[in-house]
Amino acid sequence: MMQAPNIGEVVMHHTADAYSFGLGEAFPSLNLHWERWPDLHLGPLVVNLTPTKHVVFLVLAAGLVFLTMWVAGRKLEQQRAGERAPSGFANAVEAMVLFVRDEIAIANIGHGGEKFAPYIMTLFFFILYSNLLGLLPHGSTPTGNLAVTGALAITAFLTIEISGFLTLGPGGYLRTIFPTIPGLSGPAGLAMSLAMGPIELIGKLVKPFALAVRLFGNMTAGHFVILSLFGLIFLFGHLPLVPRWGIGIVTSGLVLGIMLLEIFVALLQAYVFALLTSVFIGLMQHEH
Amino acid sequence: MPGTLIGWLAVLQEHQAAPATPFEVNFGLFFWTWVVFIALFLVLRRFAWPVILKNTEERERRIRHQLADAEKMNAEAKALLEEHRRMMASAKGQTHALLAEAKAVAEREREALLARARQEQEQILERAKREIAFERDRATMQLRREAVDLSLAAAAKLLEAKLDSEADRRLVTEFLESAEKGQ
Repeated sequence: MMQAPNIGEVVMHHTADAYSFGLGEAFPSLNLHWERWPDLHLGPLVVNLTPTKHVVFLVLAAGLVFLTMWVAGRKLEQQRAGERAPSGFANAVEAMVLFVRDEIAIANIGHGGEKFAPYIMTLFFFILYSNLLGLLPHGSTPTGNLAVTGALAITAFLTIEISGFLTLGPGGYLRTIFPTIPGLSGPAGLAMSLAMGPIELIGKLVKPFALAVRLFGNMTAGHFVILSLFGLIFLFGHLPLVPRWGIGIVTSGLVLGIMLLEIFVALLQAYVFALLTSVFIGLMQHEH
Repeated sequence: MPGTLIGWLAVLQEHQAAPATPFEVNFGLFFWTWVVFIALFLVLRRFAWPVILKNTEERERRIRHQLADAEKMNAEAKALLEEHRRMMASAKGQTHALLAEAKAVAEREREALLARARQEQEQILERAKREIAFERDRATMQLRREAVDLSLAAAAKLLEAKLDSEADRRLVTEFLESAEKGQ
């Protein structure tokens, strides 16, 4: 008879970051633990630059994205040189890259979207691979970490605001904070413009905040559900054979369903992050 | 959920300072995320995207080029059409003028011809009338003479008398004139 573990602890432990990495009991020699570096104090902020498990998976995701694109690029070059019809893996990657470039970046940013396409494409595939890595056994989801999604959202924020500033100029950019109110002029319009300032500023900050929290929440929630469902098996491990196995089978079926859903969510959230970033860039670029 | 809380604490104790829940924000990860993301962005921009997008970008450039060409040719065609129309309009005007002139000439010609024909016809008629009158007078004269001769022959036979032919003729002519008058 098994002793039921603390499911909450397991769930939190599995979704949290750690200073360790490994493939569990199957490969004990690959289980690594490392020491935490000393904290850095930057004013009121305490920063610890020790690479964590999520950093390892970030690097892994970036490496896999690069490998995918590099191999696809080489294959495409070979196919083009041989004047053969594009086929297989390379063609699939090309189609996906083109979808992100044309349907996400250029379609939503509008005129001049090609400039931003490399950023959006990198964002999409980096987030996608990070999301999917968490679905592998012993994997971890870097995008299930608020610091990672926050950092990505800040790149989006800076891209949106700086590109907006460069396109609109100082005056045009100021109007995105203090908008001219249609139908109001003179002192009343000025007062309304000033009153709108804080709201517009909050709006600017809420967009990346929502991006960060949405991605983090979606990635973390799936793992919570899967781990909680698995927890049921251990929770009822003391039951007699038939209900124990019944619960095990039903739970595994449910987990399989959630896992399939998670693959979809991984794609969807990468799409949503890239799409919304493109939309926000486009809104700023064509602000009048 | 006290169980969960105790779980967190246990994990915290186990891995001393490691963040034990996914809700903790480790600011060091901002740095790592930016490093990894920017590195990936630069590497992909240098080595991957240009190769993958080469064909598409070339196609886009070609299409842009073709569109510009098409626009230019369209403008040219429009200009040509406009010129053509102008030429057609002027040609039409010229044709009208020519036709009008030709009509006028034909009308004048017709009038002249008609006038001449009428004149000739009248002349012919006039001549014919004159000839008829002349022929009639001659025939009348001949008839009269023959009538006189016949009358004379008849009278000679009737009278059986030898008469001075000149005197008789006068006699008969006078008789005939009187007969004409008497009618």
